[in-house]
Amino acid sequence: MAGEKVIIMAKNNSLTEKQKKALKLLKSRLNGRLLTHLNSCVHCGLCGESCHYYLATKNKNFIPGKKVDIVSSIYQRYHTLAGKVAPRLYGAKDFNDKTVEELIDIVFGACSMCGRCSVHCSIGVDVPYIVRTARSMLVEMELVSPGLQSTVDAAINTGNNMGIPRDEFVDTLEWLSEDLEMEVEDEDASIPLDKKGVDILYTLNPREPKFFPLSISAIAKIYYAAKENWTLSTNVYDVTNYAYFSGDDKGAKELTERLCDEMSKLEAKTLVLAECGHGYRAIRWEGPNWIERPYPFKVISVVELIGDYIRSCRIKLDPSLNKLPVTLHDPCNMVRGGGVIEVQRFVIKNAVENFIEMMPNRANNFCCGGGGGQLAMSEYAERRIKSGKIKADQIRKTGAKIVATPCHNCIDQLMELNKEYQLGVEIKTIGELVADALVLEEKSN
Amino acid sequence: MTQLEIEGKVFNVDGDGFLVNPQLWNEEIAALFAKHDGTGQLNEKHWAIINFIRNHWLENDMAPMVRKICQNTGLRLKEIYTLFPMGPAKGACKIAGLPKPDGCV
Repeated sequence: MAGEKVIIMAKNNSLTEKQKKALKLLKSRLNGRLLTHLNSCVHCGLCGESCHYYLATKNKNFIPGKKVDIVSSIYQRYHTLAGKVAPRLYGAKDFNDKTVEELIDIVFGACSMCGRCSVHCSIGVDVPYIVRTARSMLVEMELVSPGLQSTVDAAINTGNNMGIPRDEFVDTLEWLSEDLEMEVEDEDASIPLDKKGVDILYTLNPREPKFFPLSISAIAKIYYAAKENWTLSTNVYDVTNYAYFSGDDKGAKELTERLCDEMSKLEAKTLVLAECGHGYRAIRWEGPNWIERPYPFKVISVVELIGDYIRSCRIKLDPSLNKLPVTLHDPCNMVRGGGVIEVQRFVIKNAVENFIEMMPNRANNFCCGGGGGQLAMSEYAERRIKSGKIKADQIRKTGAKIVATPCHNCIDQLMELNKEYQLGVEIKTIGELVADALVLEEKSN
Repeated sequence: MTQLEIEGKVFNVDGDGFLVNPQLWNEEIAALFAKHDGTGQLNEKHWAIINFIRNHWLENDMAPMVRKICQNTGLRLKEIYTLFPMGPAKGACKIAGLPKPDGCV
């Protein structure tokens, strides 16, 4: 009988130790939230047209609903009675080498966890959450993409995701501090390091001190203009949390705890996050879940802080200092996944003469293609650039000469898209635009 | 790993175009990579940066901070970005034959 055959097949399936660990992880995560999302897809297909991977490749395996399906079918097979008894009748899938290979290709190689599909989903299935759960299973199997894993390892082992030695970090900040003094012609201007009892502990994306420090100078100039009482820590300053991307909750927790400890050591009141999409999402929203307690301090994005400075007249801007037309790219994790939607527009409109929205925008914006840790995974680079064509087309249509975005990860992807699709634009942080428009107070002497 | 062909020469590179085996690098490869990625003909300033990055990597097993590149070549920060439109990492480090640095680059 067919039914008996199915049962025999199910029993004969042998799992490796690593596969068992992954399934155990999945089981441990099966709370009401995950169960609901795993069991709710009605296969309406609306998500397909919302995904930049599917739109760019037309590969049906990249339709977000299919991404949910593969995780759901593994859950069905091993964690439901029906799936255990008669897997084929319930669309349950054996967790074998082939399934693992498919899973890696889909959840690491064809998803930036941007969440646009979830906004368009007819019943609101949280696809990035399911994808991240699958990535967590692959963490258990030690099958995280090597570039992504080494970025997490660098952060855990060295304190920042690029492995910058502390003395080199300090040298760079001192160099930038001298630059600031000259720029604002005030020998009291500085970038304070490890100062205690400050109002603000600021953070950085390590690519800023390492390769792109103009954004640090910009923010330091804004803090100077606002007469802010702030500091940078020379020990814990990394705003990124690549463990959020890899699915490694232990690593994510460790990185969050370090920031909490540093806030407490420096007796700082507010943690201000540099322009970093996933950093905002991970620290502002996911962090308290990882450390299982609320933060005893406030966490905001530097873009929100600049918005406050403008509203309260702590800084003065002259938009005529930025004459070229500017458009804005909304980082998925800050906008769709973080709820920071209008303040960047308010800030840009105060800093430039001509602001043009790209279409679609806000929570409906397309991912640049570089999110979800994609920049760290070289093996999928070709797909990343291909899926970014949608973003390139969006930018071209605006006619803007400058693309501003509050995310260093997006900036790197946009730089590549700029070259690949010959957009001829300049890519800037919001801080850089604001610093260029700053009107400093006349010195009293 | 993918293969990159420039002017009839074939190189093993990662998906981002960084040399898989950085030891195979030489000045001819640098010139070809620069032509391929749009940096163009390499001048004295380019070479000063490339050589500094290369030597720093050979000695320290890591790409130098951009501050060090500026201080050792005497070039201004903004010049580095003009000389290498893809930036210090995906531009200069790639041409200098380094492996891809970790992080958001």
